[in-house]
Amino acid sequence: MSEDRHRMGGLDSEARATTPELGGASGGEDGTTEVKTGTTTVGLTAAEGVVLAADMRASAGNMVASKNARKILQVHSSAALTISGSVSAAQSLVESLRAEVRLYETRRDTAMSLNALANLTANLLRSGNFQIVQPVLGGVDDEGAHIYSIGPGGSVMEETYAASGSGSPFALGVLEGEYDEEASVDDAETTAARAVQSATERDTASGNGLSLATITDEGVDIDSYDRVENAL
Amino acid sequence: MQGQNQQQAYDRGTTIFSPDGRLYQVEYAREAVERGSTSLGVRTEEGVVLVAEQQVRSPLMEGSSIEKLHKVDDHIAVGSAGHVADARQLVDFAREQAQVERLRYGEPIGVETLAGALTDHIQEYTQTGGARPFGVALLVAGIEDGEPRLFETDPSGTATGWSASAVGADRDAILDDLETNYRPDADLDGGIQIALQALASVGDAFEPSEVAISTIDTETEQYRTLDHDEIEAHLDEIEFEADDE
Repeated sequence: MSEDRHRMGGLDSEARATTPELGGASGGEDGTTEVKTGTTTVGLTAAEGVVLAADMRASAGNMVASKNARKILQVHSSAALTISGSVSAAQSLVESLRAEVRLYETRRDTAMSLNALANLTANLLRSGNFQIVQPVLGGVDDEGAHIYSIGPGGSVMEETYAASGSGSPFALGVLEGEYDEEASVDDAETTAARAVQSATERDTASGNGLSLATITDEGVDIDSYDRVENAL
Repeated sequence: MQGQNQQQAYDRGTTIFSPDGRLYQVEYAREAVERGSTSLGVRTEEGVVLVAEQQVRSPLMEGSSIEKLHKVDDHIAVGSAGHVADARQLVDFAREQAQVERLRYGEPIGVETLAGALTDHIQEYTQTGGARPFGVALLVAGIEDGEPRLFETDPSGTATGWSASAVGADRDAILDDLETNYRPDADLDGGIQIALQALASVGDAFEPSEVAISTIDTETEQYRTLDHDEIEAHLDEIEFEADDE
């Protein structure tokens, strides 16, 4: 009762929120049953916004664990991130980010900047509680469009385009050739879809369609396509 | 000195009952609430209304820095009376609880659940040595399962549900007015009128800058604060009884 008193701000009750209320937390994950997304996700800036794209396959070893995996998740009124790596850690990371962003915006009555959001994401990853996730964060704020490549250990790199997941070498090849910072959001969508298409052709762990998100100062819009070709 | 007035000892610690079973510190905290500027809540068919008096003590003061109505989450807000600093601590506790609920269950927190969490927290301070109770009463307003809800908390740590209520100065007189004029079928604008008229029934005329109004709509489940012009339009409809004084 008393240790609760004089608590400073911040979501320090988060640890209690994500562990069971009754009984202890389950033992450490051994990772053997963990669903890992061999994945392709990309993000790129356009003239008036950003585009994120991802395939929709979740794999567990050689098995396709899901043909309808949502790998682009909104975390902010004008930002979303793509996830690759462990699905459980990624979903937990996204829930924590949403809670932190709401708390920040309710307390301050102002939107969180993308720089703050990127650092927050990196700090959560750095804590070691979300192993292993490698997000590409994209969004729009007062300063314009931003893409951040965030490493699983908590590194933050602002980029104009980035990719993550097992198919990323193939996707980056397309982005190297086609990226244009002056492109319209529509053209950037085509480039993003081509990058994921290229990866799904050559990476066995990526496939089953495409999620495509456009983020402008009007907000986040996420669509999915059964076949990548339908988005071109 | 010692034993000069045995009764004094009962009001020194919150954990000490008086012989007739009262907790004086809790009662003193209620006094602090009664001296605070008033907040009102009204439940309507379209949502919940919160109205608060705010005293701008000097033209040099930034009116916008006085916060009497606080957003807790998209669908819940709090109005207060009493010690503002105590209220802010409780508001932050409520904001954390709202996000903890989303983390733990992936659902927005219910108004009754939040009022319960708040009063559990408030009650701890009436039973813990070395602490003092919160000198504040809250109105917790929001939407739960598509229904508008309104709860009141007091310094003892009790939560009660209301159709319309007020905390702070002139509470009893305002409740009298609300009991006469409350209509459950009012719309949001009607609810604002009921609250403002009740506030006007106990005091002098007030300016738009001296009152804060927020609503939470049942349809959108979103907290919204009315701007200066909207408040002015509502005040134009109000009859101030004290005008002739």
